[in-house]
Order: sequence, then C-alpha cells, then structure tokens
Amino acid sequence: MLVVRRKKNESILIGEDIEIKIVNLENGTVQIGIEAPKELSIIRKEILKDVADENKAATNVNLDILKNLKLK
Amino acid sequence: MELKSKVHGNLNYKNKDVIIFKKGLFGLEEFEKFAIIELDEIKPFKILHSLENEELSLIVVNPFEIEKDYEIKLNGKIIENLKIKKEEDVLLYTVVTLNSNVSKITTNFSAPIVINVNENLGEQIVLDNFKYKIKHPVYKEC
Repeated sequence: MLVVRRKKNESILIGEDIEIKIVNLENGTVQIGIEAPKELSIIRKEILKDVADENKAATNVNLDILKNLKLK
Repeated sequence: MELKSKVHGNLNYKNKDVIIFKKGLFGLEEFEKFAIIELDEIKPFKILHSLENEELSLIVVNPFEIEKDYEIKLNGKIIENLKIKKEEDVLLYTVVTLNSNVSKITTNFSAPIVINVNENLGEQIVLDNFKYKIKHPVYKEC
C-alpha cells in the first residue's frame, strides 16, 4: 500500500480521472472529497461486510412466517 | 425441472428461472447458480434457491412491492456485466431477512439484486447513495 502524507486541501491524483482531496480534519476524522468518473462506484468498505452478514442472516428461511402474512 | 431442497422439499422451476451470478452474492461468493421460485402461498415473496447447495436459499421480493418509489441508477459497469440492452431486460429484487417478530422483517434496499431476464444473468450491487438502508422494514405498521 502506498502511504502519502497530505495536508488539508491537498489532493492526490489516481490516473487522470480520479482526484482525492483532504477537505477537513477534525478529532481523528478525515473528510475526503472524491472526484471520479460516474461509472465507478464509490462505497465505504465496511458496508460490504454489512451486506455479506445480512445475506448470510437471510439464508435462515422459515416460509411459515410468510405464509400467514400479506403485504398491505 | 425439479430441485430437491433440504429446507423446502421438492420445488419446481423452469430453465428461464435460472440465474447465473458470476460473482456470487456478497458473503456467499462460492455459489453462482440459483433459481427463482414462485410459490402462491408466499406471494409476493419468492425463493432464490441455490442449484449447487440444497440447503441454501434466500427470500427475495420486488422492492417496488414494498416501496413504490424505490429507484436506483445502474452504472455502465453493471449494464456491461449483465449485457443489458434495454430497460425492460431488468428485474430487481431485494433480499428479505425474516424474523418471527413481523415488525423486524426487513429487506436490504442498499444492496439490490439486478437481473437481466433475457440473459439469465444476475449481480448484487451495493448502492453508493445513503438513501436506502440495509434493514428496511417490510411491514410498516404491525
């Protein structure tokens, strides 16, 4: 992993189309601005784990719960 | 075609209901081949059952049944991966997490399953907006 030291309002460029800018620093939290082509998805990494955990939880299926219920 | 499910007994499906997830589903990456199974008694919910693991199934629902204004924008990558040519090719499902407490039944609006019905290809995507929750309640008031 490349580690770079940056100050507030400084940026790094990845290739020609992606710019990552340090917008603000406060109490151990960094606010980052990202400019990238629309077709790239930008997501917080931890959400992938949350989705994986939710899928696994959803594999516990009991159809009886649904049989007695109807959507309004 | 008949599928022997460890959980649901024998289930019938047609070839057109088979969906290939080349990347698998998040957390279940090792399974690619699923069938969508409709059962009258659980409508509008459907079973997404693995054809590679007789114990693996999930409940899915068309998110518009839950929230008629649900909308997502498909990026170029997913359109390419699923060989989507027109809007009518696309079918959306969201994964339902059951709970014996009805008010705790939720569906994952943040990670919809996108299907191209003409190519039998599917992919689960994670949305990069913050509008939709992983645990969106299915029943509003119960």
